[in-house]
Amino acid sequence: MPVGKLVAKVVNWGRLSSLWPVMIFNGCCDPEYMSLLCPRYDVERFGVVPSLSVRQADLLIVLGVVTEKMGKRIKLIYDQMPEPKYVIAMGDCAISGGVFWDSNTVVKGVDKIVPVDVYVAGCPPRPEAFIRGIRALQDKIRKRGLK
Amino acid sequence: MSLDLENKLAEEIKSHFLEAEVKVQRKSRITVFIGRELMIEIARYLNKKMGFDQVVSVSGVDKIKENAFIIVYHIWSTSKKVLVTLKTQVPRDNPSLPSLIKIFEGVNWHEKETHEMFGIKFEGHPDLGRLLLPEGWDGKFPLRKDFTLTQ
Amino acid sequence: MAILHVSFGPQHPGSGPMRLILDLEGDIVVKAVPDIGYVHRNIEKLGENRSHIQNVPVLERISNIDSFNASLGYLMAIEEIMGITPPPRAQFIRVIMSELNRIMSHLYGLSISFETSGLLAPLYWGIADRELFLDLAEMVTGSRITYTYAMPGGIREDLPNGFKEQAIKTFNYFEKRLDEYYDMIFENKLYQMRLKGVGVLKPDDAIKLGATGPTLRGSGVKVDVRADEPYATYEQIDFKVITENAGDSFARTLVRFNEIKESMSIIRQSLDKLPEGPIRIKAPLRTPEGEAYARVESGRGEIGYYVISDGTDKPYRVKISAPSFRNISVLPHMLKGAHMADVPIILFSTDPWPFDSDR
Repeated sequence: MPVGKLVAKVVNWGRLSSLWPVMIFNGCCDPEYMSLLCPRYDVERFGVVPSLSVRQADLLIVLGVVTEKMGKRIKLIYDQMPEPKYVIAMGDCAISGGVFWDSNTVVKGVDKIVPVDVYVAGCPPRPEAFIRGIRALQDKIRKRGLK
Repeated sequence: MSLDLENKLAEEIKSHFLEAEVKVQRKSRITVFIGRELMIEIARYLNKKMGFDQVVSVSGVDKIKENAFIIVYHIWSTSKKVLVTLKTQVPRDNPSLPSLIKIFEGVNWHEKETHEMFGIKFEGHPDLGRLLLPEGWDGKFPLRKDFTLTQ
Repeated sequence: MAILHVSFGPQHPGSGPMRLILDLEGDIVVKAVPDIGYVHRNIEKLGENRSHIQNVPVLERISNIDSFNASLGYLMAIEEIMGITPPPRAQFIRVIMSELNRIMSHLYGLSISFETSGLLAPLYWGIADRELFLDLAEMVTGSRITYTYAMPGGIREDLPNGFKEQAIKTFNYFEKRLDEYYDMIFENKLYQMRLKGVGVLKPDDAIKLGATGPTLRGSGVKVDVRADEPYATYEQIDFKVITENAGDSFARTLVRFNEIKESMSIIRQSLDKLPEGPIRIKAPLRTPEGEAYARVESGRGEIGYYVISDGTDKPYRVKISAPSFRNISVLPHMLKGAHMADVPIILFSTDPWPFDSDR
């Protein structure tokens, strides 16, 4: 295997095994996210550990409904994160507005503010569905990361 | 279930405020409808003389067909365990009434939210600014009946 | 000394989606202004656009770790306007689900407050033990946190076989665990030093400023909707209203901790007294004209629903009086004069849940 491809494979493996999310809890899927950190579902075995600083995080999990007021802050945080960065939209409200589709203050989908890599549907999604979303993101990095 | 306590309280309110319409709906619920000029006086009487100490809710209701707003204060008495629903009416084109903040300190945020959602002015309130709506909101009042949700 | 403005939140490990604008002189807070509205979805307006049964899932999401209590208040107001009373079996099951939600909500709030007080392991204990109660709820309703289980006239489905045995097994295990929690956390000298005497709220101020729930009961004021205005079947059940007299952060946290044991006792009594019978009666599609104010005691305090009906199948006005809205408005008074490092301690001892303060 040529050296460039080997380096890319190792770098991708390093990135997908240590996705550190930003600690921002903007929507009501938040309790299911806390359940992920608990001993039963234990998302830390996939390398996901909450990062204490935005400047050292590479994953933004949008946990549910995004209002206009919070949307400005999410854009600010996305811009502060260093490259490479990934976004998971968790919950129906982050995908399309969800059960608040006709509200005047809700943004109909967080992909109108930041580019999204993985969508996890549910209201709220079960922790197993969320782990499936993390695995899908890891596959994406493995196949379409650094070349 | 006897309504002796509620009837006694209702009689006391009626005897001191002859213009008020007082009704006992069920156990622990008394409704009082009064004009806006007497709101401060009746609130002070309910608080100081009758032991109603916590305002649990302030709501506005948009009666667009009658061209009026109704403002409803729900006041609970921790000692007597009775809720008084105090209602008053203001015209829709000049909605303003005196604030009860000097009598019940806890109405601060409730009146602020009612102002933000309906446009009702509470005279004497120290800070009727933005509370829930985003910065840069265009100034319309979301809970009025002529504000339609975008599709 | 110059004033330093610090923005605490909304992106912060210990704030949730709300912001506190703090004015600091050295290390002491001289003024604190809460900035809410980051999760404002205008649910009161959405409620006017949907029929009663469609409103139940939307209103559950104002307080989704305590979702049964949030939807129960709305249904109680609607049933009062319609003039119907659910059958006794449905009322007992509503009390069981309501208390189960209270345990889940308290465990969540306590775990987060332990984390912000510097104890990291109890965060994981609390969230892991909460999973057992989510399993019980899943047995009954099919879902972990948002159920859409109660409906106008009763409840959607009956309790499954084996629920009583599973519940008793969980409670026997968890009562022993509560003693472990108490020894490890509340007897810990460091924890007591951080929380005792911090954020004192006197009883007169608490009543005047509008505090509710454990924030009010932690100052010695005995106010609880389940005892003042019993709804469902609370009149037939023996339970104590838990209060503590100190009014500081330790007292408020201890009130929530002790309420868990009381809730388990209420569920045990309800399971013993559960009668046979139907689980719902037919509710009319259109409500008659009228209005009602229903009050429910949730984990954070009293939720009040003021519903006005105009004779159609959609409500004319739904006003929600939320517990965190009232508790967060008391924060400027409690934070004045506190150290900067005590701000998360005081904030989480009042158990703020910005989703119901913003609605």
